[in-house]
Amino acid sequence: MTRFDDGRPEMTLEEFRLLRDHVYSHCGILVHEDMKFVMERRLWPRLEALGLMDFGAYHRYLRYDAQRHAELEAAVESLTTHETYFFREPSQLKAFCDELLPILEKRNGRTRRLRLWSAGCSSGEEAYTLAMLLKDSRRFDDWDVEVYGTDISRRVLTLARRAEYGPSALRATSADLLERFFVPVGNNRVRVRDEVRAWVSFGHHNLLDETGSQLVPRMDVVFCRNVMIYFDLAARRRVLRIVRDRLVPGGYLLLGHSENLLNLGADFELVHLRGDLVYRRPELPGLTGGEGR
Amino acid sequence: MNPLPEFPAEEERYRALQELDPGTTGALEVLVAGLHDESWRVRHVAAETLKRLPSSRDVAERLIRVLDERGETGARNAAAEALAGLGGAALGPLVRLLSHPDPDQRKFAADILGQLGQRTAEMPLVQALEDPDLNVRVSVSEALGRVGGEHSARALEALLADPEPLLRLSALEGLALLRRPPPLHVVLALLDDSRLQRSAFRVLGLVPQVVATERICQGLASGVRSVREAALGALGTQVTLAESVRRGEIEAVVLAALRRLPDAGERLAQALEAEDVTVRAGALVAAAALGEPSLALPVAEAAREDRLLREVLNTLSRLGPEGGRALLGHMADLSSPARAAAAEALVDLVDADSVTALCALLEWAEDDLRAVVVRALGRTRSPEAVPPLVDLLVDPALAGAATRALGVLAGSNRAAVLAALEAAVARRATSAAVAALARVGGAPALPALRQLARDAEPTWRAAAVEAVSEVDGGVGRELARAALADEAMQVRISGVRAMGRLGGPEAGALLRPALHDEDVSVRLAAVEAVGACGAVDRATDLEVLVRHPDGALAVAAVRALSRLGLAVPGVLRNAASHPDAEVVKAALSAGAETEEGVSLALSLLGHPRWDVRAAAARVLGDSGGPECLDAARLALEAEADALARQTLSDAVERLSRR
Repeated sequence: MTRFDDGRPEMTLEEFRLLRDHVYSHCGILVHEDMKFVMERRLWPRLEALGLMDFGAYHRYLRYDAQRHAELEAAVESLTTHETYFFREPSQLKAFCDELLPILEKRNGRTRRLRLWSAGCSSGEEAYTLAMLLKDSRRFDDWDVEVYGTDISRRVLTLARRAEYGPSALRATSADLLERFFVPVGNNRVRVRDEVRAWVSFGHHNLLDETGSQLVPRMDVVFCRNVMIYFDLAARRRVLRIVRDRLVPGGYLLLGHSENLLNLGADFELVHLRGDLVYRRPELPGLTGGEGR
Repeated sequence: MNPLPEFPAEEERYRALQELDPGTTGALEVLVAGLHDESWRVRHVAAETLKRLPSSRDVAERLIRVLDERGETGARNAAAEALAGLGGAALGPLVRLLSHPDPDQRKFAADILGQLGQRTAEMPLVQALEDPDLNVRVSVSEALGRVGGEHSARALEALLADPEPLLRLSALEGLALLRRPPPLHVVLALLDDSRLQRSAFRVLGLVPQVVATERICQGLASGVRSVREAALGALGTQVTLAESVRRGEIEAVVLAALRRLPDAGERLAQALEAEDVTVRAGALVAAAALGEPSLALPVAEAAREDRLLREVLNTLSRLGPEGGRALLGHMADLSSPARAAAAEALVDLVDADSVTALCALLEWAEDDLRAVVVRALGRTRSPEAVPPLVDLLVDPALAGAATRALGVLAGSNRAAVLAALEAAVARRATSAAVAALARVGGAPALPALRQLARDAEPTWRAAAVEAVSEVDGGVGRELARAALADEAMQVRISGVRAMGRLGGPEAGALLRPALHDEDVSVRLAAVEAVGACGAVDRATDLEVLVRHPDGALAVAAVRALSRLGLAVPGVLRNAASHPDAEVVKAALSAGAETEEGVSLALSLLGHPRWDVRAAAARVLGDSGGPECLDAARLALEAEADALARQTLSDAVERLSRR
């Protein structure tokens, strides 16, 4: 019998620190000191599912149980919110369409191949949005295009592959886009059309995992928006090294509107577009691009 | 060595500096040249590398000279960036720079000292408030807000009377940063100055008095949105700082103010969308006071900011059944974090009419949300909630929650719950139904459970053995004994757990084979069971396991020995020398009230792990005598970890009273 029948166990500060450190060492996600309450609420269902009495027992479970790896993933999933929607941050997407896509079309014209990475794609809205924007531009109709969405949560990837969404995910989607890129499936929900889905694939990836990142092909553009907010400085630097490594020289990195690379080194050049600021992996000296895949 | 290599491409210059060995002779001048590069990337990497050079004091002096190069804006800023990264080594040169004849240099010094944030700069900065140049004084004032300390606070407070508004503003901001509000009458006077109003509200939020709340509420009525938002921000801060008993007083004042505003709900809905998180926090406090159900959706959406979750849940719970219905009707429209918060709030807001809507929510894929919905279904008191809950027992992620919900529901619908569970067991729907049946059915369910314990499938045998042990001790022991010899590992584990729960004179002997089982999961369960049933005859087996390299087994063995009252000095010493810190902490916990435990704690005050040091400090605080005080004080002086320091500080305080 657990204590849930009478009330839920509280997380002590020490338990919070131990659990926080354990999660951090696994995936670099840093739960800040003022988030103890949130961690407690989000992990309660895990204790309930496992029939554990308190968070100390949960920490021991994560340390020693045969199922600890799966449970750690479940804990991370519970701790990371997956709030996203289609066509999020429209001004950046406009700059991407109006200014970066023409550059990419010209630059990759010889290979007619384009690779975009939606890093931390959550339930897929951003990856599909990018594919829709590429479709809409008509520049890449007969190209070899792939938008690759990755996330640390396997659960959200299941949702992403399913590609069915409700009103919350569509709150910034115009009626016109809704008509062109989605089909209704009832209950106020829609599914992304197959021709868009054909350009998008998904995979499980821990952004701090350098070995696993080798599975990610070299990318022309990486969208890593509102992901690094979960990381501390050291982890951000590691993520950026990996992202830089996966970008072709001259490839672009787009962050969320409230994020920047201040104090994170200068491995990327800041590029002033008319409508936005983006980052670029510098070209190799003496080369004008196109190599490195 | 050449100064900066003259590579034509920016990337080459960048890489040359990135790869430069900071220990190389002449590296300082190469990097200083890099600070003057036309590319910000090159300047940045130069500044970063300068921070790693040996002889930081020389580096600081050299960088100070770069600050003096008029017309070299990029280089000066990069030098400032590097100085801020040098830490204490830059302190002396920067303090001297505060006396430079050029006000630009003095301003640089103040800005960088603020970034360094070192308390030793406090007095020189306070003296620099006498600087003849206004810009320098403003920078000094801002720096004091970052450096902190008693002198800073007093100096900033004095500046509030300065005739120069810029200084008053920076002083207010500094005091807000330091969380050191000046006397209430001073803040209230500053609120009348529109240039200072926003900052004054920030400081007012730090004053935990109802008079301050009343003045904040006047701000809520302002026709200017920025003022309203500043007031809401202050309210959010005030509630965070207030003790729970004061929260009621604050809310009463807020409610009275909001009732005078015809469009209060609309204003709060707008504020709940504000950029500033403190404004949203204040809006949540106000919404809770107002209790307006139409705000349910924007309140739930505020949960998109994790830090507001506590306030969101509190506010939603205040919106009553009508708020609950609004949430239930629009769950699909909410964002994912809002849905999670709404679902949790619904647990307290549902009634018998909510079953259909709650079942619709179960269609979602999010397990954590579904677990909350399951809890809510259990609280509807409706027989309609029984079938969906029984169906959920097949889902491993939700079976535990569904079992408990059925237990709650059985309080008002026992017959319906029992019939559904019996049917589920009869058709072998899920082993979780077995546990639920035992819990709800009690002794009348025993025949069915006995039969299950002989089932061909180990899943059913395991479930039946554990379930019976909760219903009838005699039958439970009989089945558990048989289960201990079962060929299936999961059944042996169930037998072990049941035996641990039931105990009895033979339990220790019966558990012995399990302690040596080929499967480590069975052994782990057996160790816990020995502790649970008080089988002291198995102490020797446990003592061996204390030294086992598998931390899980060793921790369990120490805990079991502690439960048996057999955590003798030898056991504690063995456990304390285990390489796994969890075993060491288990030893401290086991010996907490013994002389050996206190001695162990003293020896572990210097352990490399903060959590072990904290655990040792706790033991000393609980059980140590006055003779431990000196050691605890010494450890406190050396302690760098905040939590371990707090625990040690508590221990010292308690030991001092003995």
